[in-house]
Amino acid sequence: MYTGEYLQNILNGISIGSVYAIFALGYTLVFSILGIINFAHGAVFTLGAYLTYSLAVGHFGIGGLLADMQVPFRLSFPLSLLLGSLLSGVFGVLIERCAFRPLRLRGADPLLALVSSLGVALVTINVIQYLVGSEIYSFPSEVYGDIRPAFTFQRGDTTIVLRTVQLIIFAVNMTVLVLLRYLISCTRVGKALRAVAENSSTASLLGINVDRFILYTFFLSGFLGGMAGGLVGTSFGIAGPYFGVSYGLKGLAVIVLGGLGSIPGAVLGGMVIGLAEAFVPSDYSAYKEAVAFAYLFTMLLICPRGLLGRATIEKV
Amino acid sequence: MALLELENVSVAYGAIQAVRNLNLEVHEGEIVTLIGANGAGKSSTLRAISRLLKLQAGRIRFDGRDISDSASHAVVRAGIAQSPEGRQVLTKQSVQDNLELGAYVRHDRAAIKDDIERMYRLFPRLGERKQQSAGTLSGGEQQMLAIARALMSRPRLLLLDEPSLGLAPLIVLEIFSIIRELNSEGTTILLVEQNAKLAMQHAQRTYVLEAGQITFSGLSRELLTDERVLHAYLGG
Repeated sequence: MYTGEYLQNILNGISIGSVYAIFALGYTLVFSILGIINFAHGAVFTLGAYLTYSLAVGHFGIGGLLADMQVPFRLSFPLSLLLGSLLSGVFGVLIERCAFRPLRLRGADPLLALVSSLGVALVTINVIQYLVGSEIYSFPSEVYGDIRPAFTFQRGDTTIVLRTVQLIIFAVNMTVLVLLRYLISCTRVGKALRAVAENSSTASLLGINVDRFILYTFFLSGFLGGMAGGLVGTSFGIAGPYFGVSYGLKGLAVIVLGGLGSIPGAVLGGMVIGLAEAFVPSDYSAYKEAVAFAYLFTMLLICPRGLLGRATIEKV
Repeated sequence: MALLELENVSVAYGAIQAVRNLNLEVHEGEIVTLIGANGAGKSSTLRAISRLLKLQAGRIRFDGRDISDSASHAVVRAGIAQSPEGRQVLTKQSVQDNLELGAYVRHDRAAIKDDIERMYRLFPRLGERKQQSAGTLSGGEQQMLAIARALMSRPRLLLLDEPSLGLAPLIVLEIFSIIRELNSEGTTILLVEQNAKLAMQHAQRTYVLEAGQITFSGLSRELLTDERVLHAYLGG
């Protein structure tokens, strides 16, 4: 492998890894508040991809019930992505209200919430398939307007291609990560959110409306999941409604690798898996998923808490 | 009129009856203590007041307002703060952040800052550990932090659940002298304690709870000499 190819792989790995990171953060936020994996997160990813597509391209899809429907307006790509993510956030809130809250109020076993979120995921994906069909889509390159779709750097034998979408993905993700970090570490809302995550009954004794914070969390989680879907859709196309499920599983690998409930862990885990996948030779690219899970298994054997997971310190 | 009034309150955990037909009043400016053996229902009573436990029956009124169906966070806004049993400080956040979160329901930034300084004067050990995460504090320091944090909401009524639990005798005395000081500054206190004698020496009035029901109540100085109470709770 010569230097150019090496650099190219690193570039691709960082770009996709940063999407994995924000996708996995959606899982992590819900997990740290409720201690539950939200299996519907992959469906939110799918929804975000389709919403971004419809808003930016102007029609809903190729097949399905909405095949001939036009969206009455077309938005620029950044606005489509933002609106698509916001709507995914609202969908996240709906998931909380339908799949999690009723069970929580009855004091049900967390395992039941897991199953109910899996149910929401399948229903959502089936409804999407019914509405827009299961065709493979790719975003037309005009979505960026006048910007060139790719930049090529060449020196001697070495050629490196930097796609515009990779730049966008990287910039968007870094912005999101910095904002999220600021929100959680430095603001009053962030401190309250961490209080809810550590001990919800103590948080309510401080006057924090725990129920409302759970809703905020699901909104944020849905927003991040939808945004990841929109970005992946733009970069690689939408491989049918089920493509969110495989990203959903990969997201699980990312959070377990990074350490369950750890925010920096989700970011690091995303980068590690993104880079590992980028170095899978193109002849074997069908086995990329296996690489993510190979890392996951190895990590579970060596260090079950993940890269940045911590043992909980209990003091009596 | 009583500041806090519990009328025929019953609380259950599933099939287990924790508190039955409990009547209790706390007047403005008082220290009232609720004593009883382990499992008598003392903490359940406080948890019911803070609305962490559903009422099976009965009403709770605070300052004349019915709070029986309020949410926990709304009760804090109404003016009741609790320092829970087992302290329950936020171990991953700093002492300073714990105190700031105690003032979550307030929005007067400057006054919050002054109050935090006041807490550091009241509990100098906390002042020495402002930036330390609360999980690294000793048991006594965590207890002080839990009390200080509850005070940060400027409550009209402070509920203290077992502030002496697991602490060395000298620290217990220190905490009780602070409780008395807070009361003399105008905070009304409802104190739950297993250390019955010490609690009664500090409280004007006492309720004795036995298997979820009040068996004795009255002025602490009278109950302190009552043969039956003496025998059952004070090891006399």
